[in-house]
Amino acid sequence: MLHIFDPNTRTDRDLGTPPPALTGNTVSLSIDGHAIDVPEGTSVLRAAALAGIQIPKLCASDNLDAFGSCRLCAVEIEGRRGMPASCTTPVAEGMNVHTQTDRVAKLRRNVMELYISDHPLDCLTCPANGDCELQDMAGAVGLREVRYGYEGENHLVAEKDTSNPYFTFDASKCIVCSRCVRACEEVQGTFALTIDGRGFDSKVSAGQNDDFMDSECVSCGACVQACPTATLMENSVIDQGQPEHSVVTTCAYCGVGCSFKAEMKGNEVIRMVPFKDGHANHGHSCVKGRFAFGYATHPDRLTKPMIRDSIDDAWQEVSWDEAMQFAADRIKAIQAKYGRDSVGGITSSRCTNEEAYLVQKLVRTAFGNNNTDTCARVCHSPTGYGLKQTLGESAGTQTFDSVMQSDVIVVIGANPTDAHPVFASQLRRRLRQGAKLIVADPRHIDLMTTPHGGEALHLPLRPGTNVALINALAHVVVSEGLEDRLFIAERCDPAEYAAWNAFIREERHSPEATESITGVPAESVRAAARLYGSARNGAIYYGLGVTEHSQGSTMVMGIANLALATGNIGREGVGVNPLRGQNNVQGSCDMGSFPHELPGYQHVAQDGPRKAFEDAWGVTIDNEPGLRIPNMFDAAIDGSFRGLYVQGEDIAQSDPNTQHVEKALSSLECLIVQDLFLNETAKYAHVLLPGSSFLEKDGTFTNAERRINRVRKVMPPLAGKEDWQITQDLANALGYAMHYDHPEQIMAEIASLTPSFRGVTYQKLDELGSIQWPCNDAYPNGMPIMHEQDFPIGKGRFVVTDYVATTERANRKFPLLLTTGRILSQYNVGAQTRRTSNQSWHDQDWLELHPHDAEERGINEGDWVGLTSRAGDTVLQAKISIRMQPGVVYTTFHHPVSGANVITTDNSDWATNCPEYKVTAVQCEKVAQPSAWQERHRAQHKKQWGLLKTPEPTEPVVK
Amino acid sequence: MSPQIDTLVKMINQIADNAPRQETPEATAEAVVSHLKKFWAKPMKQEMREYVKAGGVGLNEVAAEAALRL
Repeated sequence: MLHIFDPNTRTDRDLGTPPPALTGNTVSLSIDGHAIDVPEGTSVLRAAALAGIQIPKLCASDNLDAFGSCRLCAVEIEGRRGMPASCTTPVAEGMNVHTQTDRVAKLRRNVMELYISDHPLDCLTCPANGDCELQDMAGAVGLREVRYGYEGENHLVAEKDTSNPYFTFDASKCIVCSRCVRACEEVQGTFALTIDGRGFDSKVSAGQNDDFMDSECVSCGACVQACPTATLMENSVIDQGQPEHSVVTTCAYCGVGCSFKAEMKGNEVIRMVPFKDGHANHGHSCVKGRFAFGYATHPDRLTKPMIRDSIDDAWQEVSWDEAMQFAADRIKAIQAKYGRDSVGGITSSRCTNEEAYLVQKLVRTAFGNNNTDTCARVCHSPTGYGLKQTLGESAGTQTFDSVMQSDVIVVIGANPTDAHPVFASQLRRRLRQGAKLIVADPRHIDLMTTPHGGEALHLPLRPGTNVALINALAHVVVSEGLEDRLFIAERCDPAEYAAWNAFIREERHSPEATESITGVPAESVRAAARLYGSARNGAIYYGLGVTEHSQGSTMVMGIANLALATGNIGREGVGVNPLRGQNNVQGSCDMGSFPHELPGYQHVAQDGPRKAFEDAWGVTIDNEPGLRIPNMFDAAIDGSFRGLYVQGEDIAQSDPNTQHVEKALSSLECLIVQDLFLNETAKYAHVLLPGSSFLEKDGTFTNAERRINRVRKVMPPLAGKEDWQITQDLANALGYAMHYDHPEQIMAEIASLTPSFRGVTYQKLDELGSIQWPCNDAYPNGMPIMHEQDFPIGKGRFVVTDYVATTERANRKFPLLLTTGRILSQYNVGAQTRRTSNQSWHDQDWLELHPHDAEERGINEGDWVGLTSRAGDTVLQAKISIRMQPGVVYTTFHHPVSGANVITTDNSDWATNCPEYKVTAVQCEKVAQPSAWQERHRAQHKKQWGLLKTPEPTEPVVK
Repeated sequence: MSPQIDTLVKMINQIADNAPRQETPEATAEAVVSHLKKFWAKPMKQEMREYVKAGGVGLNEVAAEAALRL
């Protein structure tokens, strides 16, 4: 690939060894006559790189600790004997280093000669040709002959391991530099790889001589990236050759928001390589972002706008103009007949900020109401509510890097190794450094078994009892005097604190009193509270296991109470950190997607902000909230809500109580779906607008740290339009004029109307790489850690959090509690990952149940199990597992045919209507055939794909 | 009354049960009212007003009080 090397501008070059822990001291030395000052502890290799001097190296990389095995980076140092490896030699004051002498040149040639004597000389046909460090180093040291010959004992016939669908392990090309092994340990933290054997027999081995696929390998790609040769190589590069240009952009999977270099050949992505200067991921990735991008060019992609009169008709391909006119006419006719409030829109947490902004703007202008909502409704709406009430801002308080300063890490209702893998790797690194881990989760999560991470304190609570647990933790903190009185006195509202203190001290909140509710031994709760309460820095990370409950909002406030009471807010290493599910959940919330808020969380009833929007948009905005998604469904069934515009969300699969959702969607007179695929929702649509993938558009995503990252277009949209253009065209067809030429102009409008975004521009994003909002005159470069001095509401507010049991309870008919979650290889409804080789890891959802529950019901591993709740029933295959406690069963929801949400009920969070996905009372029994819903689903799937007239419909996995 | 009213009754009762407890039921009802004003759409509030006037069957004490004050 074309590399233009400029040490002053390239931010992702390899400096050989990691930066040292800063002591504040600098050391002066001379390298090849160049004087340079570097921080104490820097390696000679790194110091040289910083001075613009490249020392040959093979086993060194600045994301791995120095290893000193290849001996290629040997240098001469005046006054020292021999030729030390520069990677393992720290700088010293006054040192004189010579990187190029006859002696080291000879040594390096000898080293290379030995390497090459056991290396296939097939450079011209090798997939690494053009991107091989071994080849580069052979050139750099001037290797001209191999005196040993090639006939001796060698590894050239070693077999390839092609078990992983995304990369190949070709052991014949391995130089045993251990970079892959160290990357697996230090970067990813999985420890799946090792060097097996000794001396000449040494070889890289996955697991205990397993195939990569059968080992603990999680296919994060860190080893492939670390490999200096063709030993570990992406299959896409093997097939297609080296990419020729690259563009830095942001991953569209989870809320970590990793930066990637999309490495391209023309308009085709050859590989996605994690960007070293990515501020959220620092050059790491997971199996989804790194490899699972093939969905973007999958043949299932919709490429033509389509319309139909009824959902039983065949789809008719039309021009964009016709589709827009058809949609606009229908919406206008509905509004004329049923009133202005009879239609609404849903913004996507997968689309960009600019696109979410535009959809809510369309709803508030062209539709003329506040009936806008977003898929964040069903995941983190309680976070928005709860943190706003207590801390004054609807967002997490930290950077991801902050975890490296944490001493005690509490993870509640989150499964980072599966759902936020790149952050989990950082978390694990901190655990290996000695931080303590407390996990509150009904299941045993993989984070608890972090290699070399110490023992985790597990609080295995019963689903639905979060608030009782958090109150018990706070009770111990307060009753044992572990609170931070100074912080409370200085930073918190005294009257509210006094009321909360009196409340939380009540004996009914003690661990002993709540043990019968939560099922967690009182001693464990006390131990956890003492650990967190007395930590120098205690940080709380939480996920949907907190929010997706009938008391989701209460629990978020309970977490904030606990952090405030212990003074764990407002500096590095602490904080309240929601782990956001989708790439742009934070952003879609920020962008005014909720029916009660304009962008920047400005309530529609606030006259000042509303007037600013009214003036800018030239319309009158309703000063009362509109309908939330579940309210829209109810109103649809009622008949008062008739038209819906859905941008990139599959509500028919992802929302609870599927049969209720299907009934609502069937009641609509106009459903406009804008998506990449014919998803479950699109099967009920009248207008299909083919959307664009993240590779096909410009914009920004905002990750769980409030970090605004640029999304850059690397290929033209398959269907001709970026999503913001589609929304703009629809607005124009509806008679509301929008004329943006580029998302940059949309961001300028957002910045002009949203105080927390006031200083955000594309230019600044390009300059800084990313910005954590708020970004305004006071914080021109953004704010990494929030609430350092004060809260946006002045004082922190304690809120009384009574535990109220959910109405969804186990009883004789439904004795088990079902809870749901994600798995590493699949993403949410699976629309993207199911269309990639990630299927190799998880091609169906399983019902996990405890051996005790299985035995009582005569269920064996692999049996088909009928799962019944008050809402519906489905059939899944059983996996016997002791991850759950008896009485709790678990499944993922990545495959539509599993019907996980046929089971979930329409219970929801009291404050935000976020569905109670995490608690459903169920019964299960062994069965022989799919459920009635699954039979209907299969028939409907076949029929709707037939109506699309695509040649090869992808059959759902029904077994 | 529309079939939606059952959901609205469930919602308001749940809000009444969960809204941070105040010193008097009236104060809690007032907190419920402010929640409804902040988050409920116009037709939902209207329907609740009519429902409570018509007897408000199934509303718990705080919810009924809140609905009357809405």
